[in-house]
Amino acid sequence: MPKNYTSLISELREKLKECKSPHDVANIKAHYLGKAGIVTNEFGKLKDSGLEERKELGKSLNILKNQTQELITLELNNIQKAKENGNFVDVTLPGKNISMGSRHPISITINKITSILSSYGFASVSGIEIEDEFHNFEALNIPDTHPARDMHDTFYVSDNKLLRTHTSSVQIRSMLSNKAPLKIMTPGKVYRCDSDPTHSPMFHQIEGLYVDKNVNFCHLKGVLINFIKEFFGKDMEIRFRPSYFPFTEPSAELDIKFKGKWLEVLGCGMVHPNVLSNVKINTKQYSGFAFGLGVERLAMLKYDIVDLRMFYENDISFLSQFKGLK
Amino acid sequence: MKISLNWLKEYVPNIKKNNIFTEELTSLGLEVSSIVKTKKDTIIDIDMTPNRADCLSIIGIARDISPIYKKKISLPKYIKFVKSKENIFSNIDKKISPSYSVLVIKSIDNSVATPLFIKERLEACGLKKINFIVDVLNYVMLENGQPMHAFDGQKFTGNINVRYAKKNEKLNALDGQSYALTTDTPVISDDEKPQAIAGVIGSEDSSVSVKTKSIIIESAYFTPNIIRKSSKFFRLQTDSSYRFERGVDPLLNEYSLGRVLTILKEYTDIGNYFFNQSSASKIAKHIDKSILINPDLFESSLGIKITSSFIVQTLKYLGFNPEKKKARLKITVPSHRFDIAIPEDLVEEVARMYGYNNFTPTLSSNSINNIGNTSDKTNDYSDSLVARGYNEVISFSFIPKGDQDNHILRPKIISLMNPISEDKAELRGSMVNSILNTCSYNFSRKNLNLRIFESGKTYIKHSDKGVIEENIFAGAISGVNSESNLKNDQDKLSFFDLKGDLLSVLPNLSFETYAGINYLSKTCQAVIKQNNKIVGYCGEPDKSLYVQYSIKNTIFYFELMIDKIVGAEDIKYKKISIFPKIKRDLTILVDDNILANDITDAVERKSFNYMINIKISDIFYNKAEFGMGKKSMTIEFIFQDKLSTLTDNQINDEMTKIMSLLKNKHEAIIRT
Repeated sequence: MPKNYTSLISELREKLKECKSPHDVANIKAHYLGKAGIVTNEFGKLKDSGLEERKELGKSLNILKNQTQELITLELNNIQKAKENGNFVDVTLPGKNISMGSRHPISITINKITSILSSYGFASVSGIEIEDEFHNFEALNIPDTHPARDMHDTFYVSDNKLLRTHTSSVQIRSMLSNKAPLKIMTPGKVYRCDSDPTHSPMFHQIEGLYVDKNVNFCHLKGVLINFIKEFFGKDMEIRFRPSYFPFTEPSAELDIKFKGKWLEVLGCGMVHPNVLSNVKINTKQYSGFAFGLGVERLAMLKYDIVDLRMFYENDISFLSQFKGLK
Repeated sequence: MKISLNWLKEYVPNIKKNNIFTEELTSLGLEVSSIVKTKKDTIIDIDMTPNRADCLSIIGIARDISPIYKKKISLPKYIKFVKSKENIFSNIDKKISPSYSVLVIKSIDNSVATPLFIKERLEACGLKKINFIVDVLNYVMLENGQPMHAFDGQKFTGNINVRYAKKNEKLNALDGQSYALTTDTPVISDDEKPQAIAGVIGSEDSSVSVKTKSIIIESAYFTPNIIRKSSKFFRLQTDSSYRFERGVDPLLNEYSLGRVLTILKEYTDIGNYFFNQSSASKIAKHIDKSILINPDLFESSLGIKITSSFIVQTLKYLGFNPEKKKARLKITVPSHRFDIAIPEDLVEEVARMYGYNNFTPTLSSNSINNIGNTSDKTNDYSDSLVARGYNEVISFSFIPKGDQDNHILRPKIISLMNPISEDKAELRGSMVNSILNTCSYNFSRKNLNLRIFESGKTYIKHSDKGVIEENIFAGAISGVNSESNLKNDQDKLSFFDLKGDLLSVLPNLSFETYAGINYLSKTCQAVIKQNNKIVGYCGEPDKSLYVQYSIKNTIFYFELMIDKIVGAEDIKYKKISIFPKIKRDLTILVDDNILANDITDAVERKSFNYMINIKISDIFYNKAEFGMGKKSMTIEFIFQDKLSTLTDNQINDEMTKIMSLLKNKHEAIIRT
């Protein structure tokens, strides 16, 4: 092979080494094998040489052309392979179809409460919201003339139909249809004619009721102290203090110390014998305890929410903050 | 109720430091809402529960803390009355007032200044200074809880009547208002007209002023329910009605007048006076009320053993009289404890004195038959939708008046008799209002991409059942599939996104075109069925709702009647074939009004051999090629046999049958 051909090949090798993309290789290919390429030009010189010489030269030229082509193809493949192996992905681009919504913080709180209580054996029961005075008041030892009715500013839809002021009405219905013993919890919406930053005309309650033989005040404390600890995930300073509900005797209020202040979180007590008698449960045989807690209050404490109204405005920017909780 | 600590210390001198005392009061059920130090005094504000009428006075509170400080409380000195020959009573209704006393003072000088200590204490307890006589009456009320009222003797014509008002009687009251009395209003009247609404408020005419020269002081026990009713009726709560409706000690009225006289005499000139009292025999019931209690009840109800000496001592301090009656205790209840009626009430008394925080928490091990729902469908569906990008919302059950008139008949709408405001005046009869309201609110907050759902009730009046409450699971979508995507990857949400979401939650729902729901558009509306039963509706809201909620963005809405939905049934495994699945496509030209369901249903109903799946995989229009009102549909079939690999001939036979079915039934033209 003529010497200048050998140097052409080594020159090509050098040039190919510098190639970074298929585009660079294509340029070189044009430079050597294109219509006016170096190798093509060499072929053009053939017609000027003699027959014998032409034979030799033709052989060498073909080798040159093949080698050039081989080298270029090889380089193209290399570049292609490198691209495949080290394909760079901008992982900081947005993810696609992120579809994660959120449960409402009230539902999350209800689920948390009911799952704790259900591990203590409380079964979930629900009921109607438009109640009559018997189930909402009278059966619960709150006669018409009782000052305790002031504690329940009631919405009426007709003379005897009202929006339940607590879920205790569900307890009455359950006791009437299931008899003792029973251990139930009643989550649901309740209504009171009251509206300011700390009161909403609609809110959520969960009440618990346990009626059985030999149920006493220490059992009530046991359930509630454990409940509060599980709900907040840590020991909280708790106090019980006497209070008044017509449907429990003795009655108590449970406060927890939160950021240095006592906050009322739930009311409770031993079921009043009149309530048990009203639902035909033998008070000589059975006793029970009951408690009722406000879901909003617990959700506010748990999630540091200061304005009750946030719960019902349903701003997606608020709701989305609870992603990932069930 | 606000109380002065200095005053309280007159009865219980060794009261502990403020912070400890606050804890003590709270542990007794007298919750301290605030405690404020003033120059000379400390004002304690107590939130009183409605059962503790006996604590609406300094002496009442002193008595309740007496077991802690081991200090027996005695009443301040007073002047005793003798029976008088003079009488000012005409007709006293003993149902209204089972015990009614008056002190008539024939001459008195009311121009004297109220003594400083009285002034200061009234102020500390939140009462305004008025004039000497009235201030003394208020002072004694704060001291022992007995409300009293003084009439100007010169303005009071003749004798005293306690009766119900007559028709058309009126009272110009001390608060400057004129009250139209009814025949249900208990009043105190002279011989001419009512001078007070009993236990609630006196008249302006006979009110005591500094010029008053003679007075009639009323000190009574009124039947709580009667006072409560009339106070509620006039929406008028006074210091006096507040106490009477909760119950004032019925044996206190004579003493209180004696106490008033003692103070009046000390500071002003008093002439002749006499005392009258009318008492029903029924009043004795309050004196002799006693409860028999089995001492075991304390332990069985409270869970720990409390010594009988603690029980007896505590009850004695509180004014009860416990006596042993064989194995039981007979406990006489003092006349100021209205709230004590049954043995459990005494259990509470002992428990609160023992301290609720001193009971050991224990866990019971009783087991109970579970009666509740074990699975919660709504919760499961909610979690599924959340995984598909939905936010759960909770709206008020109330909606503004008139908001649902477009789609619910007025007689079916439930209105509140006493709404809190016009925008919360009715109960929702459908979830569509709540959902669109939430969409509208978020659009106004520039949250344009929404996927929301709510589970709640709707409320409708029903002629037979009264009220129907229905559990509804509803929601809506609007905007793009995912706003975090690159622009190129964002797709506008359509009806089919909604349908897909619902099918992902409940795979066995079916959707049929529908036009029966008036709040959904006629052109994009589906009835949702499960096992051929209607379980819900979905589609685009009707234009009128877009206008009503000022919504410009396109929304797709759904609602499911949760109680009609059957949860997933138990699944039984079916053997799967090991032979290959073979896919065939068929493209046909049909009339535009033939729906996807029409095609798939027609084929599915016929059950062709080996066919295990069918779906519409493509649809397109080309007016130039197909003409108006025609469309091309591509149907994808999957064939598989359980016993062998299918041959082309076997499948071709089935495809031929399918093609002829579609030709006959839907005039389909086969394109491939």
